[in-house]
Amino acid sequence: MEMTSSVARGRRRANPYLDLESYDPEADLMVLNLGPQHPSTHGVFRLKLYLDGEIIVKVVPFVGYLHRGVEKLCEKLTMVQLVPIFDKNDYVSPMMNEQSLVMAFEALLGVEVPRRARYLRTVLAELQRIASHLLWLGAFAMDLGGALGGGATLFMYCFRERELILDVFEELTGCRFHYNTHIIGGNRHDVPAGWAAKVHSALNVIEPRLSEYESFLIVNDIYIERTRGVGIVDGALAMELGITGPVLRAGGVDHDLRRDAPYHCYDEIDVRVATAEAGDCEARASVRIAEMRESIRLVRALIDGIPEGPLGARKPIKTPLAEKATEGHSYAAVESPRGELGVYVVGGGDNRGASPYRLKIRSPSLHVLGCLPYILPGHSVSDAVAVLGSVDPIMGEVDR
Amino acid sequence: MKLLGAENSPEVQQLLIEQFSATATTIGGPPEIAVDRHVELAKILRDEHQYRIFGFVVAVHYPTRVKEATEAGEVIRVSYGLRSVGKGTRLASWQLCVPVGQSVPTLVYLFAGADWQEREQYDLVGVRFDGHPDLRRLMLSEDWQGHPLRKDYAIDTKVHPWR
Repeated sequence: MEMTSSVARGRRRANPYLDLESYDPEADLMVLNLGPQHPSTHGVFRLKLYLDGEIIVKVVPFVGYLHRGVEKLCEKLTMVQLVPIFDKNDYVSPMMNEQSLVMAFEALLGVEVPRRARYLRTVLAELQRIASHLLWLGAFAMDLGGALGGGATLFMYCFRERELILDVFEELTGCRFHYNTHIIGGNRHDVPAGWAAKVHSALNVIEPRLSEYESFLIVNDIYIERTRGVGIVDGALAMELGITGPVLRAGGVDHDLRRDAPYHCYDEIDVRVATAEAGDCEARASVRIAEMRESIRLVRALIDGIPEGPLGARKPIKTPLAEKATEGHSYAAVESPRGELGVYVVGGGDNRGASPYRLKIRSPSLHVLGCLPYILPGHSVSDAVAVLGSVDPIMGEVDR
Repeated sequence: MKLLGAENSPEVQQLLIEQFSATATTIGGPPEIAVDRHVELAKILRDEHQYRIFGFVVAVHYPTRVKEATEAGEVIRVSYGLRSVGKGTRLASWQLCVPVGQSVPTLVYLFAGADWQEREQYDLVGVRFDGHPDLRRLMLSEDWQGHPLRKDYAIDTKVHPWR
């Protein structure tokens, strides 16, 4: 046990291609499959762990258990039909998925989005970020088990708060989860009367409770013991692996697409980017909690000032075949709660150009899981669960 | 032709044209460079232009019946993207063109993130990456037949095991 705390939990990078033949021949290695059906894997994901005692020596991750062939489906359906499909990729933040998709199509088709729709998209994105991070906080606390008042306590509280945001979304779109509210060139659902007041009252409930939950964590010795210095992803490793979002910022890299490459109406508002230096599980948690506060601030600043005007660039599209692109490549990226969610589209596919020829989703969760073989060796199995919870992978987005 | 929404910055475009004799393709997308020089390009972009975040790898299959591909035969075009860090972040992207069956040099030794991305493209599109340390299927099972994102992959026939 001494080894886990001092030597192995340092700032170093393991060799993911380690040849086990060259490992200590005296050691009695054991293979342990964590998953695919395991509560800590947040879905179906398998980690093949090679253990020396309780210490991890090598990690081989297996993804693809949830592969549904979304990219092939995109070549068969038309652009208009794809938006509801994308809700199911990252099912914890469907708004961001829709936005990245319609932004890529808008770039391809040369459609300008009216200012009112861009404002509304920004508000929806920030509300979705709060909801997504709340779910992460609850699930992370549950992964840490008994550290936080018997495991599922904080999980239930966070779900209670997330419900407030889902209610607001339901009022706007009619759906709690899979909204289908973005269309190419604007938004489908206009803001109902009195919606802003409901958003304000939801945020007024969430904000003080967030401080309450944070105070659960930062004074809790068990929480600190299980997260501080565990699973360090430093900035250099994160950038090399293509990791973006809170995991990158927790490693001390000040990079956020909302501020650095503004889309929607982020160029009209000052986004304060939260960063941390340590790069461990604790830093990732603190960055996400700070992001929730920042999102609350942004929503409050924006919600009362949604400008008047049209919500869509044109009349609503009546038939799926109405949008056509014959050529061109486009790429659009948004800062989702998990990082840079990009969509690369090659236009001019089936249905006489109404389908993409090829569509590739750059999912931040897939990149973030790539760090596990580099950071887990040297940790114990219980640390692996904490690290997996702290990087917040969504399997629907990893496997697609 | 440009990559809409994420064009190369003027310096990168100049670098691509002057040092790597990049050409615009007839079917759009980022500039095309010679296959054997793209590792060198990635190294220059990473070390001298601060494109340090690994972006994406996209492979696209063009069978001979698509009119754009007829001159070169059946080809796979592979686009790479890298992202610069911090304020004013940009994407730098380029594409390679290889006949089906030929391989592309891997970027794993410059960007560890290319490991899984290239494995995914190998799995789904069937382009091989030279020098990749662990080129296995990523999404599909090891005994899968064919590469689903190829244009000639039939999706409406029942082939054992079920597709």
